[in-house]
Amino acid sequence: MIRVRSLQKDYPGSPRALDGVDLDIERGEFVALIGSSGAGKSTLLRCLNGLVTPTAGRVEVNGQVVTEASAETLRRVRAGIGFVFQQFNLLRRLSVLENALLGRLAHTPNWRSLMGWFTPADVARAETILERVGLAGLGTRRVDTLSGGQQQRVAIARALVQTPAVILADEPMASLDPALAHTVMEILRRINLEDGITIVASLHILELARVYGHRIVGLHRGRIVHDGPPESLDAAASARIFEPRAQ
Amino acid sequence: MSRGARWLAGGLIAAVLVWSAAATELSLARMIEGLPYMWDFLRRMFPPDLSVLGNALRGAVQTIQIAVVGTTVAALLALPAGFAAARNASPPWLFYGARFLLNVFRAVDTLVYALFFVAAVGLGPFPGVLAVVVYTATVLAKLYSEAIEAIDPGPVEAVRATGATSLQVLRWGVLPQLVPQFLSFTLYRFETNIRAAAVLGFVGAGGIGFYIQTYLRLLNYPAAATVLLVLIGLVMIVDFASSRVRARLV
Repeated sequence: MIRVRSLQKDYPGSPRALDGVDLDIERGEFVALIGSSGAGKSTLLRCLNGLVTPTAGRVEVNGQVVTEASAETLRRVRAGIGFVFQQFNLLRRLSVLENALLGRLAHTPNWRSLMGWFTPADVARAETILERVGLAGLGTRRVDTLSGGQQQRVAIARALVQTPAVILADEPMASLDPALAHTVMEILRRINLEDGITIVASLHILELARVYGHRIVGLHRGRIVHDGPPESLDAAASARIFEPRAQ
Repeated sequence: MSRGARWLAGGLIAAVLVWSAAATELSLARMIEGLPYMWDFLRRMFPPDLSVLGNALRGAVQTIQIAVVGTTVAALLALPAGFAAARNASPPWLFYGARFLLNVFRAVDTLVYALFFVAAVGLGPFPGVLAVVVYTATVLAKLYSEAIEAIDPGPVEAVRATGATSLQVLRWGVLPQLVPQFLSFTLYRFETNIRAAAVLGFVGAGGIGFYIQTYLRLLNYPAAATVLLVLIGLVMIVDFASSRVRARLV
């Protein structure tokens, strides 16, 4: 499903963000990506769908090479990958339904999408998914009138509307309070179990990673320093992952 | 800032103030001497001569028309100019060039442009429209470019991540963030342009100012008073309506 080889990313003027990452993720896995802030979690996730172009290395998702793909190929790859952001990244002045429908843009011709003419099938699909994430009846509400937990569910709906094979989630609960964090993780778990969608979620809270991840990958300064089932995450492993940067 | 520098700065400001006051013949005594004349001026305006109401309203309508056409054309020109002058939307050479040109054209106010265009195309509302267009386009382009620079990149990235084309990213990631602000700025400039267009008539560029100027020259103060009252009413109505609409936009 996902193959990452010798991935490297340099940002000018900062320490290397990714330093030779190799990673294989199979279809249907729920991977929790953990590490302190600045460990390279966001960069790694963004390299998987081409939002960030790596300095070196190779990324393959769903049988297609993301690194050095043409713009057209990259759009096709992205259409099959949902992305859930820490800050939700919704269009705040648009309605819940409009935001969810943005997940169909890759399947909508330019001229139709300029007018906002989504097909009845797409609208029905978006409505079903909104219902599924617990937002039934809120389709016409403006997003900025919703609570943070509801907004993150709109963002998850937008990703699901894409009918993705993979959902990448970058700290999906970091902007939410703890109770809501569990709701959001619970929705991701259900999607993983019921739809077989592969999930890669970066989390900075170890407990959430232990509870929800089938597999825990620990990043430290751009390198993978741990990879295994939740049981394997002992004191020594978490010390390796969360070792202070100043050493 | 050290204590000495503070004293120096304070002294400099005081010196500039005294120097300017002396040069502009600032004088409380002269103002008090003038008070009876001001009162006389106002007294002679009453009662307003309502027989010129027709002229006043015709002038008011033309002022609105100048502002409507001028603001609309300016907004259309400001759209590409605003993107060109936004740091995050244009290459450096275009950005610096656009910023420079906008600053040059914005340094001159509508009324000065009106003098220029009256000389170029003759008297009437048309030079007034041109003056409003040039000044408003530069101001709106500046406001638009600032809104573009303040755009939240998060939603743009999110729309791109769905596999959308560049055109779709612009339509659904960028425009929903900008359009309400653009409309609000444009309406605000429309309000300001009503006031600006009201004085255009003083230099022969059409609108209600023409009548104010004419009646004052003829020393027909009651007629001038009627035109002034219509102008005040016009400005108040437009301000009220426009601010109501703007409040709903954002």
